[in-house]
Amino acid sequence: MNKLLIEFLSGYTATNQWAAILPEIMMGVLALCLLAAEMVLPKNRQAWVPRLAIWGQVLILMIAFGFVGRCSIGEFQYFSGLITQTDVTQIMRGFFLVSSIAVCYLGHIYLSKQTLPQTEFYALVLIISAGMMLLVQSTHFVMLFVALETVTVAFYVLVAYSRTSQFSLEAGLKYLILGALSSGILLFGIVLLYGIAGNPELLGASRDSLNYGELMNFVILNMNNMIVKIGALLVIAGVCFKIGAVPFQIWVPDVYQGAPTPVTAYLAVASKAAGFIVLIELVRGPFFGLQDFLVPVLSVIAAATILFGNIAAVAQRNVKRLMGLSGIAHAGYLLLGVIAVMRGVDWAVYAVIFYLVTYLLASFAVFGVMSIAAGEEDANQELDHYESFARKRPFLGGVLACGLGSLAGIPPLGGFIGKLFLFVAAFQAELYGLLIIAIVGVVISIYYYFGWIRECYFSSSSTAVVKDISCGATSSDRFLLGALTVASIVIGILPAALPIIR
Amino acid sequence: MIDILFYVFAAITLTSALLMVVSPNAVNSAMCMIVAFVGTAALFVLLEAYFLAVLQVLVYAGAVMVLFLFIIMLLDVDKETNQILKDKLTLSASIAGFALLVVLICSAFAGGQHLPETSLMPVMENPTGEGIGIPFTTSAKSFGYSLFTKYMLPFQVTGFLLLAGMIGVIVVSKKHSANS
Repeated sequence: MNKLLIEFLSGYTATNQWAAILPEIMMGVLALCLLAAEMVLPKNRQAWVPRLAIWGQVLILMIAFGFVGRCSIGEFQYFSGLITQTDVTQIMRGFFLVSSIAVCYLGHIYLSKQTLPQTEFYALVLIISAGMMLLVQSTHFVMLFVALETVTVAFYVLVAYSRTSQFSLEAGLKYLILGALSSGILLFGIVLLYGIAGNPELLGASRDSLNYGELMNFVILNMNNMIVKIGALLVIAGVCFKIGAVPFQIWVPDVYQGAPTPVTAYLAVASKAAGFIVLIELVRGPFFGLQDFLVPVLSVIAAATILFGNIAAVAQRNVKRLMGLSGIAHAGYLLLGVIAVMRGVDWAVYAVIFYLVTYLLASFAVFGVMSIAAGEEDANQELDHYESFARKRPFLGGVLACGLGSLAGIPPLGGFIGKLFLFVAAFQAELYGLLIIAIVGVVISIYYYFGWIRECYFSSSSTAVVKDISCGATSSDRFLLGALTVASIVIGILPAALPIIR
Repeated sequence: MIDILFYVFAAITLTSALLMVVSPNAVNSAMCMIVAFVGTAALFVLLEAYFLAVLQVLVYAGAVMVLFLFIIMLLDVDKETNQILKDKLTLSASIAGFALLVVLICSAFAGGQHLPETSLMPVMENPTGEGIGIPFTTSAKSFGYSLFTKYMLPFQVTGFLLLAGMIGVIVVSKKHSANS
């Protein structure tokens, strides 16, 4: 019996190839190393911690891209179906690494102005990054949920990180309660699907009914089953909460305002990106059979998201809330791409990723400027603080203008091409109604993005400056922000510079 | 024999659950909740779900209840605050509870008098297709096999999940010295 059992169990472990997730493991180890380094290093050497975090990630990025070179195209399943690596997940690996490097850098700027614990911030950012890499690779609901919870729990902490600030604590509490609620909804959906797909009375029932592939076969055979529909809807609702789509968007402005600026950037870019890739994998995988049911649902959500985000952002004076609300609108545009994928336009996946990359570049440029310009209490960043900002800080003003222009989708910048690809995908999927709404949304968004730029460049009252912008940019700040801006422009002019569109 | 035990434990669970709801003292109702949890664990044992029973006692009756008691002690919730709100809550809670009871009784007696015959099936299949597979049991061993073979990766990631939570508690609650 014993020998038989060992033989049997070794069947499972045969595909546990830990080398396949080397970058994730290294991120986890780096996070632990940082915590250890804080203990070991003497007090006057603590500045090494952020450097170790940033350069360690740069090294991991290089190693990870060595991976892409070796196994780029194709699907590889590991860990007996828990994880599937494709070219999309490899690109997203790089995406999350770049964004966590940028967040670490912004966090360094932010923490130098505050008296807060330092090392834990970087450790949590690294854990989140590794969690998101696993999240987009997971093709099994157990893996999905564990990775998602790791990311979410670490985000609860990061949002409430500035524990001396009332806004941050309030945001942390709101995010905790609503996030737990959404995890509950997601889990309930997963459990319903697990139960119904494991029912041996039904056609196509599976022994491993949490696996995407098995579930996909089951759902195609039972697409009119009520419980399957409810389960799928609940899972989609849980993911929609993470990306901030409309019925589940209430948390976005408050949390974005209260969270420390680097964390806001991380939430806006990486968390949203992970949510969208998961959504795409769900609608292409297990919920493939439910297209007729899910396309109208997601179309309504997308339309409402675009309109709500843009209209609510128009009257907004707090720049962090503005970024949050406009982030809702961006989620709406991205949903267009997801719906296009469901309608059979396969390359729309790459359009979504391209858009996410341009969004990353532009958002981090804007949030970087915000981190530098922020004072002691970074939740209260009003538009008025940016009065004649460009005259005082021409470089930062230029970066801000480029970033906002890219977010608005102005032609020579990356954001324009990103929107163009998404809209072409939507056009090919014959989503004409949604396309009109999206274009109306873009027009509205130009108004408020340019309101901010106008405040920077053309504000008339240079006499009554409400609050002086505290400190300038160092040369490394300039390098990072400049690189982001240049990348935005280069992608806008030469979209092929990004190895995504083939 | 098992039938008698079932009625005994079910009675204990229900009585203590009722006492928990009606008890005016928060600490008393927490104690009743522990008894209800232990009663549920005993019902799990009768269903031969030993592992679940152990978890029920360890996690709910142990960890979760300690947390509850801590919060009750710290917050000092005995003070009556808003009588109107409390009355409304009591009313809506009893309506909802009654509705649930009605639905449960209806579905138990009207709908499915004959539950389908259940049997334990081998749910673990070898992914390589060889061997016969071990039958699914409710013992801890069976969970352990899965946890340390197929679900090894999520199991490890859970470690990081707990680490993140622990770091969070320290960051949010610890006083940080201003000069670092």
